[in-house]
Amino acid sequence: MNRLKTALTGTTVLTLAAGAAMAEGELNALVWCDHTDPGLIEPFEQAFGVKVNLREYEGTGAALALLEQSRPGDWDVLVIDGIDVFRAVDAGLLAPLPDEALPTDDFFPQVVMAENNSVDGVTYAVTEKFGYNTISYNADKVDPADMQNLSAVWSEKYDGRISIYDYYLPVMGLAAIANGIDTAGIDGASLAAIGSTLGEMRARAASVAGVVAAQTALATGEVDIVVGGGEWLTAVLAEEQPELTWTIPQEGAVRWAQSIGVLESSENKDMAVEFVKYITSPEGQARLATSSCFWGMPANAKAGEFLTDAQKNTLRWDEQPDYLARTQLYPAPDTDLDIEMQDLWLDTLQQ
Amino acid sequence: MSTGHQRLKGPGFVTPALIWTFAFFVVPFLVMGTMSLATLEGRTLVWGLSLANYAELTEKAYLWRAIMVSLEITLTVTVVSVILAYPLAWIIAYRIPPRWQRLALLLAILPFWTSYVVRSYAWLLVLAREGVVNQTLISMGLISEPITLANTRFATVTGFVHFFVMLLTLTIYANLVQLSPNYRRAAMDLGASAFQTFRHVVLPLTLPGIVTGAFLTFVLCIGDYVTPQILGGNTELTVPQVIMVQLGRRADFPLASALAIVLMAIVTLVYILSARWLRLDRL
Amino acid sequence: MTRLLPWLYLAAAFLFIYLPVAALVLFSFQDGGLPVPPFEGPSLRWYADILSDDDVMAALTNSLMVAVASAAVACVLGFLAAYGLARHVLPGSALIRGLLIAPLTVSYLIVGLGLLIVIQRTGLGLSLFTAGIGHVVINLPLCFAIIYASMGAQQQNAERAARDLGADEFRVITLVTLPMLAPALAAAFFLSVTLSWDEFIISFLLTRFDVTLPVEIWSMLRSGLSPRLNAIGSLVFLISVTAVLVLEIFVFRKRRP
Repeated sequence: MNRLKTALTGTTVLTLAAGAAMAEGELNALVWCDHTDPGLIEPFEQAFGVKVNLREYEGTGAALALLEQSRPGDWDVLVIDGIDVFRAVDAGLLAPLPDEALPTDDFFPQVVMAENNSVDGVTYAVTEKFGYNTISYNADKVDPADMQNLSAVWSEKYDGRISIYDYYLPVMGLAAIANGIDTAGIDGASLAAIGSTLGEMRARAASVAGVVAAQTALATGEVDIVVGGGEWLTAVLAEEQPELTWTIPQEGAVRWAQSIGVLESSENKDMAVEFVKYITSPEGQARLATSSCFWGMPANAKAGEFLTDAQKNTLRWDEQPDYLARTQLYPAPDTDLDIEMQDLWLDTLQQ
Repeated sequence: MSTGHQRLKGPGFVTPALIWTFAFFVVPFLVMGTMSLATLEGRTLVWGLSLANYAELTEKAYLWRAIMVSLEITLTVTVVSVILAYPLAWIIAYRIPPRWQRLALLLAILPFWTSYVVRSYAWLLVLAREGVVNQTLISMGLISEPITLANTRFATVTGFVHFFVMLLTLTIYANLVQLSPNYRRAAMDLGASAFQTFRHVVLPLTLPGIVTGAFLTFVLCIGDYVTPQILGGNTELTVPQVIMVQLGRRADFPLASALAIVLMAIVTLVYILSARWLRLDRL
Repeated sequence: MTRLLPWLYLAAAFLFIYLPVAALVLFSFQDGGLPVPPFEGPSLRWYADILSDDDVMAALTNSLMVAVASAAVACVLGFLAAYGLARHVLPGSALIRGLLIAPLTVSYLIVGLGLLIVIQRTGLGLSLFTAGIGHVVINLPLCFAIIYASMGAQQQNAERAARDLGADEFRVITLVTLPMLAPALAAAFFLSVTLSWDEFIISFLLTRFDVTLPVEIWSMLRSGLSPRLNAIGSLVFLISVTAVLVLEIFVFRKRRP
């Protein structure tokens, strides 16, 4: 029924060929949980008279499989890990975006990431949000100076006081950085060194935790350090327990970035582009940055005009130039390396 | 008594349920079996008759370990739950006056109706370092430092046992009250001690109920994803967790299917071992 | 001492059983932002938060719809099958019974995974409807078993009498069999509603935009620690327990002589 409606609306829009048509309709988006905040979505729905249907997903692999098996018109918008945009493009899933409609000139220059978001000069996606996978800790329980040095973080001093964030890419990225390996340079040969660091971490860790488990563990004193944490983990806790904070160690840390794009099979592309424009606009960016699921830095620097000083403080707005300079993007393995990395990760967990 | 007329009609009544079971249970199961023989090359699904996914179970240590972890946890949970539930059911059936029994039973299983996802989360709060259990133990002077309970196998087992004690209390109680008190009375009259009566009369008679409950516990426990995911701290992974990783991150349906078939095989084996005492169609 | 032992055990067992519920409910009234000690409160802010959350309320309605619809289908199919098997001599009836009971011995995850693969391959599309199909699969064996077990000789005699008096099969079923089986049907129906209402993994795998309450709670759980989870958990508990008590008092109590 939904599909029929979407299809009909799609056809109507095409027939009218009316640019940013204000047609009644639905937009189906495959997203991360931060997009499900009504505070973010409702203003768009009201402005354009559409219903935005949202579905969360977990990993890029699963999202790509879902999209490949879907039928035309099933999906309009995709939010995807910045490093994985090329995989979606390779699979022919993303449609080109009109460069002139995107406010990338206002972005923090380091997060425009044209090399990730475009292929052969054609833009397929645009960065919308970023942040860091680094070290979150309890400043009352650990020596903040130790947190400046990755090997001190998982040293014997903090044995059993550590939780590892349950996502292999950023954590293995941190392990690589600790070994002086660039995240972009991770290959089959460097996995041995990464694996042994991962083993050390694992041996010191009390748990390998998802978002809630890591937050619970930090908030209740179960652990004092979360490896792979960051502002997205501690921002919601900081209000109650200001001693829970995060830092970027000397060696650097991993930067995550999420991109948004329009699907090639969408039958409502104009509305989908409108949605992308809304999300990357200063207002949309400010809402996305502080959305209920997790906070993160907006890609668009003009979002600052719509954020309060307290919000900017939590996001560490003023320190971004320094942080951006010292962090590297998540590792972006190809399919084979990805499987090797996942296997190494699961093996380490099961030890 | 069955006339020819009735013989024709019988199948008509059974057919809808059979079609449903066939279409939405047997067929998916067969497709899953076929899927387990396919392989994933890159992101392309290649149908075939390959045993590669099953070979991976022995090649990749974490997959084999997951099977072991699942078995260990499930067996522990089943045994502990039966041992804890039996006395509870016994007390309700034989120590509590009949008119209060139904109320006592209802109270014993009421938390069954907390949302299942939330129940595991609640245990996380209870077992946390500053949670109720640690605080109580410290204030009683039993421990001086909080002990790590959450995010361990202990937490997973506790979460499971909590749920299955309720389930088993219900099934064992139902068995106990069906026993005619005359059996026990006769044994006592013949000079058997309370323990002998239990060992030689009550236990054998309630065995089918215990085995049926234990079997259900085994099936539900070994296939559960939520409890170990929330409480186990990912320090070890069970088969359902590995299946969900294959689906969620990599969309590796062939490997996930192979793991599901292995789970099925384990359950089937347990079914065969306990079939003598199972009464699944007389729950 | 040995006389006291059972009561001590009972007390310990109830403590264990109610411990997580008590912690859940207590911290749902937390005034602060985190559901961990110390308790600051009481406050109803998280209940207000939950009740004004459209997604949660929509999920609650969805769950109720799926539960009632799937339980009804499972009961009808289960009743028909039980009637067919108990009242008619069928070839291979043991095999049929085995097949109908079989889903009971299979993990929900496997039922969900199998259906997911088939639905994706056929391009049917996921929805609350597909989740409902899965729930019927897991509830049909229970409904069948419960109803089949209660079809005793007593009903059969009444049915035979009705038939001898000239009633056709439809009238026998509607006027004799169904009323006599009402308690078993009610038990099967409410058990199915309970299981479907609380089922997670099948709904998680088989829904798309509209989700059931356990799936909504799961995504809340993944998005951060908050007393909201305690509030929704306590609320669900309150709803379920009220339903159970109402049934116990008004429906099941009447059965007893």
